[in-house]
Amino acid sequence: MKIKIIISLLFTVVICTAFLYDANPFKPKYLKLFIPKGWPQPATNIFAKNPLTEEGFQLGRKLFYDGRLSKDGNFACASCHLQFAAFANFEHDVSHGFNNSFTTRNAPALFNLAWAKELHWDGGINHIEVQPLAPITAANEMAETLENILQKLSTDSTYKSMFKAAFGDANINSQRMLKALAQFTGSIQSYNTKYDKVKRGEASFTISEQYGYDVFKKQCNVCHTEPLFTDNSFRNNGLDVNPDLNDFGRMKITGKITDSLKFKVPSLRNINITVPYMHDGRLFTLSQVIDHYRKKMNNTQPTIDSILRNKLLITNQERIDLLSFLYTLTDEELIQNKRYSEVK
Amino acid sequence: MKTIFYFLFAVSCWFTHNADGQPKKSAVKKQVNLNLVFSNTIDEHPVVLFDSSYSNPFAENFVLTKVKYYVSGITLYKSGKAISKSNQYFLIDQVNEKSLIVHLNFPENNYDSIGFLLGVDSARNCSGAQTGALDPMNDMFWTWHSGYVMQKLEGTSTQSNLPKHKFEYHLGGYSGNNSVLNFITIPFPGGQPLSIKKSTLINIHIHAAINQFWNAQSNIKISETPSCTTIGLLAKQMANNFKTIFSITEIK
Repeated sequence: MKIKIIISLLFTVVICTAFLYDANPFKPKYLKLFIPKGWPQPATNIFAKNPLTEEGFQLGRKLFYDGRLSKDGNFACASCHLQFAAFANFEHDVSHGFNNSFTTRNAPALFNLAWAKELHWDGGINHIEVQPLAPITAANEMAETLENILQKLSTDSTYKSMFKAAFGDANINSQRMLKALAQFTGSIQSYNTKYDKVKRGEASFTISEQYGYDVFKKQCNVCHTEPLFTDNSFRNNGLDVNPDLNDFGRMKITGKITDSLKFKVPSLRNINITVPYMHDGRLFTLSQVIDHYRKKMNNTQPTIDSILRNKLLITNQERIDLLSFLYTLTDEELIQNKRYSEVK
Repeated sequence: MKTIFYFLFAVSCWFTHNADGQPKKSAVKKQVNLNLVFSNTIDEHPVVLFDSSYSNPFAENFVLTKVKYYVSGITLYKSGKAISKSNQYFLIDQVNEKSLIVHLNFPENNYDSIGFLLGVDSARNCSGAQTGALDPMNDMFWTWHSGYVMQKLEGTSTQSNLPKHKFEYHLGGYSGNNSVLNFITIPFPGGQPLSIKKSTLINIHIHAAINQFWNAQSNIKISETPSCTTIGLLAKQMANNFKTIFSITEIK
């Protein structure tokens, strides 16, 4: 009988301890993605299975700026996604990778990713959480393995405490690393350009900007749809294939010949600071881009976008006004926002 | 003394009942351990990686260096009706002996066949970073075209014209026409329903006859197609061959 009582008591103690332990649960600071007024809801909630928290965001932020995610320590995510260039790779047509290698495409700007659908120029990535696997493991980018990265992170006590703060215990695995990165990159937002302020009644366009906005609405808005300035579709915009790269874009992913030479429509937000342009960075100024659409494009390709069959009719004056408007899409608050910067 | 027992009773009730006061399912149907024992075979013998004595139905010699595939959505049936389904994912990997035995729990019942998906369903393919069997560290995830590879079969053959005489079949693609996912059902031997009860540990032995892969429906010759690493028709043909190689040899 005594033994029974002791066992019962022990059991009770264990249960009570469990309750006490529960009374001190993991309590991260939950955050909510801000949806600017008048914007569409994101098509899918990228944080549905990855609750956005301050701790997760901060861990993702540290990982984003950490060169140890690459083989030789030189290539953090941030090496090719620079805040001052709206997280694109400023002045680089293609980016530099491990061992003096080059990538084959222009590093895209990173913002408003919660509204993106497929990622990458060819849409090959179906979820923000799995995107980092591509640059991390590519031989001409970060050239590292997940095993090595986890090994490096697990010897760092700061990471141990940050993983614990973000996920409840100090276990470091690939899923948690990827979810944290997604919390950071998915939280980078651009909604404070002059254009946005005009829309909110906080500023007004100059005459040239207003004319340029009118041209934009007539000529560009179908694909570069407001307020995100992309419709997330894949289109052939009349760029001849570069014979050195033989990059046919979306076709590689879908296997469909009708997707030949189609690439993702990039957002025009921050376009002035994400030079150069196009999937392989072949155009170095916005004037060249406009001239591409009104004159230079190859509109004879079978998969050319139907909107571009006759090229775009943009006069010289309209071109100047359109440029004025495009400059209003630069988001100073995004590029100055300390919350997105490296923690020094 | 009584107080302790009342307390324990209350605790046990709390554990076995949901918030709405209904007993949990597990309290009604006993869960039974069930193992699927996979055996990748060549001529009825378990595959030995790096064994150089194999040849396929086209008399092409080959050495296997990798045999890996996903099995998921394991379902037990009675008279054609799905009775119970597991939501787990398993990676069968020839180099990892433990992975060949899949441990499951199913409710006690009579069952007459088993079914499972070869690969990872499309919903899970699009659900972001995963862990466990689906951890990308298992080298079964395409980084440049998000999605799980359903099956990897690799090796060498003097018939292959690739560098180092390699052959490599990585079958992937989860949506639309490019899907390599196949759900297969296999009746239990003898066509008799099997009573799965708590008192017995049940091992369902499943053989995967690798040599049927080469010619079950389409002919795959190493000399002609030593590799398949992208989505498309070839991957689908290979997947359709692959889905035929499974059979239950015994249940005990």
